[in-house]
Amino acid sequence: SGFKQVREDEKSKLVGNVFSSVASSYDVMNDLMSAGLHRLWKDRLVSGAQSITPYGDSLFLPDSSDFFSRLISKLNPFPGMKHLDVAGGTGDVAFRVVERIKSVSHRATQGTLTDMEEDTHIYVCDINPNMLEVGKKRAAEKGYNEEQCLSWVQGDAEALSFEDGSMDGYTIAFGIRNVTHIEKALSEAYRVLKKGGRFLCLELSHVDVPVFKDIYDIYSFSVIPAVGELVAGDRQSYQYLVESIRRFPKQEKFAQMIQEAGFEAVEYENLVGGVVAIHSGVKL
Amino acid sequence: ELSRRYFASRLSLTAPIGWANSVSTQPRHFVEHVVVRRTGPSAMASFLVARRLLCPASARRLLPCTSPPPSAPAALCWLSTDASPSPPLPVPPLEPTVDPPKKDGASFSAGSGAGGAYRTGQGAASGGRRSGGAGYEEEQQKVLRASLLHVPRMGWSESAMIAGARDVAMSPAIVGAFPRKEAALVEFFMDDCLQQLMDRIDAGEGELLKNLMLTERLSRLVRMRLEMQTPYISKWPQALSIQSQPANVSTSLKQRAVLVDEIWHAAGDAGSDIDWYVKRTVLGGIYSASEVYMLTDNSPEFHDTWTFVNRRIKDALDLQKSYKEVAYLTETLGAGIGGSIQGVLNKVFQK
Repeated sequence: SGFKQVREDEKSKLVGNVFSSVASSYDVMNDLMSAGLHRLWKDRLVSGAQSITPYGDSLFLPDSSDFFSRLISKLNPFPGMKHLDVAGGTGDVAFRVVERIKSVSHRATQGTLTDMEEDTHIYVCDINPNMLEVGKKRAAEKGYNEEQCLSWVQGDAEALSFEDGSMDGYTIAFGIRNVTHIEKALSEAYRVLKKGGRFLCLELSHVDVPVFKDIYDIYSFSVIPAVGELVAGDRQSYQYLVESIRRFPKQEKFAQMIQEAGFEAVEYENLVGGVVAIHSGVKL
Repeated sequence: ELSRRYFASRLSLTAPIGWANSVSTQPRHFVEHVVVRRTGPSAMASFLVARRLLCPASARRLLPCTSPPPSAPAALCWLSTDASPSPPLPVPPLEPTVDPPKKDGASFSAGSGAGGAYRTGQGAASGGRRSGGAGYEEEQQKVLRASLLHVPRMGWSESAMIAGARDVAMSPAIVGAFPRKEAALVEFFMDDCLQQLMDRIDAGEGELLKNLMLTERLSRLVRMRLEMQTPYISKWPQALSIQSQPANVSTSLKQRAVLVDEIWHAAGDAGSDIDWYVKRTVLGGIYSASEVYMLTDNSPEFHDTWTFVNRRIKDALDLQKSYKEVAYLTETLGAGIGGSIQGVLNKVFQK
């Protein structure tokens, strides 16, 4: 159906270009691509209750206003944690982890562990310096510049500069589909995690629900590139992004790949019927 | 008294509230017995649901429903390398001998909740946990067991589990992977206690029970089980509240049903008719009421609680006899009047 065939060596360059060009309007477009659709369903949210649709009990969740919140609550950060967020240049995940660990209410429940708080450190790794700049700017806006626990590192997901067994958690949100060799990224994730460490991946994934699937296809292939042209003036990049989502392995296949990398207790959770999926695994 | 009764009715396997009232030293009246009996069926209905979820009553051991238990050497290694430091607090009485290879592990995973269930098909909302099940379950158990040592200080909380994970040289991040975190710890403890109880019965204490009356046997078993909770008694109210949360209540009911079943079996229960449900319900109610009574008991070594247990069981069993007495009485009355109830009804509808 007209997917552009991209050669391996060209892929990383193309991805680099895409992200350099979309970096500034990244937030807006991300909203439109993933959370926009989510907002269509938000009206049907009953506070705290489970959804009545048949598309799974993870569709609406008490404490998630968006997918990042769900990712963070699955991650369950603790004081003293060493966390690595890959391809998270803009800091979406990192800021939420910091907030979660530092929040007053959280500290109250964890009472006895505040002495470990100083050891907390979150590393944000991204291959694209522009994205990192956006992240640093957002950190400044939120007042995180005095935070000793945030580090911004440039690096490649396929060849991380961190030591073996140095991280408690590893997250990659909306980033793994842009990696050329997914298996390499997964094995790098396995390498840097400690024993008992968790791997979490938030990614746009496949919808198999019959009617919803067609709606989603129309939305993706017709609406998004058009909006991309209007908002960011770049139809091609968004066309590429939509195609890359379709090319990404399905939930079960990706879960299998994670398991092959060595992780145990691999599972995934579909959000919004499969538009977004969170895969998780534990290193033992 | 009021709060105890409320707790008992909420947590127990539907022990009728009226029953608690009738347990007194006053002479029992005919009406009271009928009232208790009438609430029986509704009480049994919900208990029936719980019972269908259990493995067959004849199978005493909790069968592995999901992952197969690891080989014995693995279980032994796990015991010997357990890196838990000697705690300054009283440790629950653990079997000094080798534990049988992980029979409660599988039951724990069965009670772990929806997160552990394996579902295939691409339309599924979530994907199941994959292989290495034995490895992950083992590690999970290790962490939870180590966490129990921290519970008296930190309560049934994530802090205790994080400290437990650190004790066994695991990253505390693994706690995030446990389904319903605090509930996982409480459920592990319940399963562990049940396993200890069964082991102690098998190890020889079961023989000692043979010489006692039924009421004494039951008392002894309930006491054995409740004594396992004494090191955690200061934090037990928290465990009860965790167990009664909507997400966790089905598992906790299941565990209690299995426990009561096990106690009756060890006490030498031979009945298989309608009495079975009544017996389980009643004992479930006694157990929960005693559990709650223990929370406010300050007597030395919980002496008052054991007295409470003895009295409740005696009264309950006396009540049992009364059901049969009532039935017998009704029949003789009917025969005296001239014909069974069926005969009376036939006469009524014949015209």
